[in-house]
Amino acid sequence: MNGQYAALLIALPLISAFFVPVFKGMGKNAVRYFLILVTALQTGIAAWVFKEVYTTGQPIIVIAGGWKPPVGINLYLGHFAALFVLIIAVVSLFTSIFSISAVKTEPIDKYAMLFLLLMLGATGMIATGDIFNLFVFMEITAITAYALTAYNKTGESAEASMKYIILGGIGSSFFLIGVALIYGSLGTLNMAQIAQLAATMDPTVAQVGLALIILGLAVEAELFPLNAWAPDAYQAAPHPITVMFSAFVVKAALYAMARIIYLMQVVESWGSVLRLLIVMAALTVVVAELAALRQKNVKRMIAYSSIAQIGFIALAFALGTQAGVDAGVFHMINHAIVKVLLFLAVGYVAITLGGAELEKFQGLGRRMPLTAFAISVGAVATIGIPLFNVFWSKIRIILATLNVGYTWAAVLVLSASVVEAVYYFRLLHAIWFEGEGERISESMVIGLMMFFLAALVVVIGVYPDYVWELARKAGEDIFNVAQYVKNVPLMGVGA
Amino acid sequence: MISVYYFGAIALILVGLYAILVKKNLLKILIGLSIMETGVNLLLISIGYVSGKSAPILSEGIGPSQAVDPIPQALVLTAIVIGVATTAMALSVAILIYEKYGTLNVEEIRRLRG
Repeated sequence: MNGQYAALLIALPLISAFFVPVFKGMGKNAVRYFLILVTALQTGIAAWVFKEVYTTGQPIIVIAGGWKPPVGINLYLGHFAALFVLIIAVVSLFTSIFSISAVKTEPIDKYAMLFLLLMLGATGMIATGDIFNLFVFMEITAITAYALTAYNKTGESAEASMKYIILGGIGSSFFLIGVALIYGSLGTLNMAQIAQLAATMDPTVAQVGLALIILGLAVEAELFPLNAWAPDAYQAAPHPITVMFSAFVVKAALYAMARIIYLMQVVESWGSVLRLLIVMAALTVVVAELAALRQKNVKRMIAYSSIAQIGFIALAFALGTQAGVDAGVFHMINHAIVKVLLFLAVGYVAITLGGAELEKFQGLGRRMPLTAFAISVGAVATIGIPLFNVFWSKIRIILATLNVGYTWAAVLVLSASVVEAVYYFRLLHAIWFEGEGERISESMVIGLMMFFLAALVVVIGVYPDYVWELARKAGEDIFNVAQYVKNVPLMGVGA
Repeated sequence: MISVYYFGAIALILVGLYAILVKKNLLKILIGLSIMETGVNLLLISIGYVSGKSAPILSEGIGPSQAVDPIPQALVLTAIVIGVATTAMALSVAILIYEKYGTLNVEEIRRLRG
């Protein structure tokens, strides 16, 4: 089949979002089922792209309007993009099913539109091959995320959204200044051509430009000190949206950051940019783990835990080696699975019992055994206990840090895991050994989704090799810039 | 050569940043955000500006070599539209906050903490 069909990944959610008002007139639940239909179609296309890229080993490059890059704009679906577009689509499918029971607030048609645009934005950020396009997709993601955070229309959600808007506004301005500096010195916005010309760039300008881009993307990627919005937004947003934030909005920004940094690896001042990212990542881990310890609200606690995991991924990316990037991608996959499981289960508990405070979880093992089991699997996996998937990626990150001689980073990862164990075991204790309660009947569909994710966690934990192979190929896609440049059919302009 | 527009752009960015960091009133913070965006847009435009050349519209006597770089102008158009969307979104959230809290002072809007 023709690779140009991969453009449907961008076109389908966009067109479907405009069709939502049509379905609104067809009954109360039509919009919700339409949402499931579109995300299922998107999953189908993403699965096809994934199969195509991984069997041929060649990236799919979509060229808009037949204009060759850098004059035209291209989408680049390499190993990394194919894998994560699939993850985005599957997570969106799960959350759209979850939305049926989780989102009762009206107007549901606006929710569906914003949901589709959020999915589109994250997909675009991963697929695009042009840094200004990246900015546009980033802003689509950000604006829909602001709106969805405020969706519940409570004081808390409005406050969380406002914090997000202000930080996001500063971040996008910084990102744009970075783009302006790169454009001003290289005269191109195409990623492949930037990589080609990067050696001619003035080191100081490149350093400032990259630092500004890192700071701009750090808002979406939740790196310290620009992550103050994240716990609030996670707590106040509707439960399915929290799942999406943690599972792929953050990942898309992290990927964009890693991609732009590695594009410019020939620049002399590259090492100092990596050091900036390492410091930000390490601080993110420390601050988030300590903040997670004193949380009373379980959703907020898991949000902080999620931020800490993001810190690990950024740390792995900032090592500047192939092993580090591979480990980071592997941790991204595992973290996406685990956090979808946890936020799904916690969100479901919060809907059923009317809140996510720690007291509500007492006796959950007797009241909702299936959900309690799912939370336990997720919690144990996040700590990094062997036979669960996160164990392997944490080991890979530690090995990668030792390879470049950062012993302190390995110690940081290990001690952060100890802190994680403290607060997750407190949660598990409350679930299994405290409180009494009547059995509540659990939803079959959500139970199935949780069971599937928990099974995935254990299967990857026992047989990590297949997923590690996927992560390794995806990591090479980011790290091997020479191959990236060769894959994009550049016109002979400027080079 | 460093154009004088760079200084204007960076001054605007810093004024906006100052307003965001120091002001207590939510609306003033949002005005700061707008000023900062304007500064960034001016910076982008000034990167494509070449002294003495004309607008990038092909017409009599103006070929590609006599025109300024059109790409930054296209980028700024996009960035302005995005900035307007963000501002509109922020103002509607500010209305919601005023309804729920009865104030726009950021020091009193502190229900989420910890």
